[in-house]
Amino acid sequence: MEDVVSGAGSVIMGSLVNKKSLKKPTTPPAPRVASDGSDSDEQLLIAVGNHQDRAAFNALFSRFSNKIYAMGMKLTRNEQLSHDLVQEAMLTVWQKAPLYDLDRGTAQSWIFTLTRNRCFDILRKMKRQPATVSADDIWPQESDIDSQLVHEEEGTMEVEVSKIQSFYGQLPAAQRAVVEQIYIHDRTHEEAAAVLEIPLGTLKSRLRLGVGKLRQMVGTEV
Amino acid sequence: MNIDAKYHPTPEQLEGFAQGTLSPGMNVVISAHVELCAICRKSVSELEEAASEEWLRSTPDRRASSINFSAMIDSIVDHPQIKGDRTTADSVSEIHMLDHSVTLPRALAKVASDGLVWRQLAGGINQATVTLDGQTQCEFLYMKPGSQVPVHKHQGNEVTLVLDGSFEDELGHYKPGDFVVRTAKDLHRPASEEGCLCFAVMDSPLTFTKGLARLLNPFIRYRFRRATSAAAH
Repeated sequence: MEDVVSGAGSVIMGSLVNKKSLKKPTTPPAPRVASDGSDSDEQLLIAVGNHQDRAAFNALFSRFSNKIYAMGMKLTRNEQLSHDLVQEAMLTVWQKAPLYDLDRGTAQSWIFTLTRNRCFDILRKMKRQPATVSADDIWPQESDIDSQLVHEEEGTMEVEVSKIQSFYGQLPAAQRAVVEQIYIHDRTHEEAAAVLEIPLGTLKSRLRLGVGKLRQMVGTEV
Repeated sequence: MNIDAKYHPTPEQLEGFAQGTLSPGMNVVISAHVELCAICRKSVSELEEAASEEWLRSTPDRRASSINFSAMIDSIVDHPQIKGDRTTADSVSEIHMLDHSVTLPRALAKVASDGLVWRQLAGGINQATVTLDGQTQCEFLYMKPGSQVPVHKHQGNEVTLVLDGSFEDELGHYKPGDFVVRTAKDLHRPASEEGCLCFAVMDSPLTFTKGLARLLNPFIRYRFRRATSAAAH
């Protein structure tokens, strides 16, 4: 990507795409399909987020609850607190599943960080430490997103506006509309879904597809 | 907010931060640096990925017999899901200096939100101590322009995050975002020509090694004990 061009810094991408799209064209972690043909953790999590899929949640629960319990025992050495940790961490998985997308990394990493954070809060209470800072102050959600933007700081990915525009014109209309809402009008996922009158899950999958295609096109151009 | 920091937490510190094994005080100061430093943000997300691999790989699949799984699931799925993304209710918090304000990273803004009590120490240093846990002493430090901290060494580790201005010691010159780590074997003598606001976390008290400043030692130990025992009770 060192070389997709060029030009004076500020012209680049300026009008069409904001910083978010300056990601290096790495593909986000693909949903891994388990070898036995069952759904990957990512697919399960997205199903829970998109349509409260209870079977998918059951599957995630049986895969992760023991692991969460074990982390609790390791850190608190207390069965009741470890039990609480399973309850709280899996509740957070359920509640925040609509916020998960592949750009945030693998499902297991996402669930790990949620569990770590709940565990931090439980431990702090157990040790009667001052409640000044909670896990969410220390590991804010946003940093997950921002971390995807790092490459831009390294000053690498530069693409001529005209090229992006031609790529962008090749996207299917539905995906283009979504990309436009997010990257040009700088709307949040919810706002964009409301404007386009589509469900949030649909928006996210179109965005994922659209951005993936753009990255591919940029990538093959290099 | 992104700053090109020159000094970063050690790999072990970042790893502990990702794994959640550090004390709250250490987590807070690393969080503040990570918020400012894109390079460390990237490292942390990679370390989180690695930690999750390790977690799943090394955990025995032992079922906790005490858990009634189906009852737990039933109670969870009754809860509504969170649809709104980007819940950044950024409580912008600032520290007002004489002629300008300094915006604090999120974790520190939270720490400062209860209000800071500043005290004057010798040598043009002002200090506002905060208690976050029983293992560390945490403080905001303001060094007036031209101030100097007496030569000291540490019994444990000290980390200092520069928030505004700059300071220097034998080993370097530190600017906003820089994360300065000193261990027990380091002797150092920080000074600030232009004035400096920082946040420092110590996991044990300082020992002054020269001159009259040594008289401060018992006092500092006492203060450290008090700060940590206040947290423990």
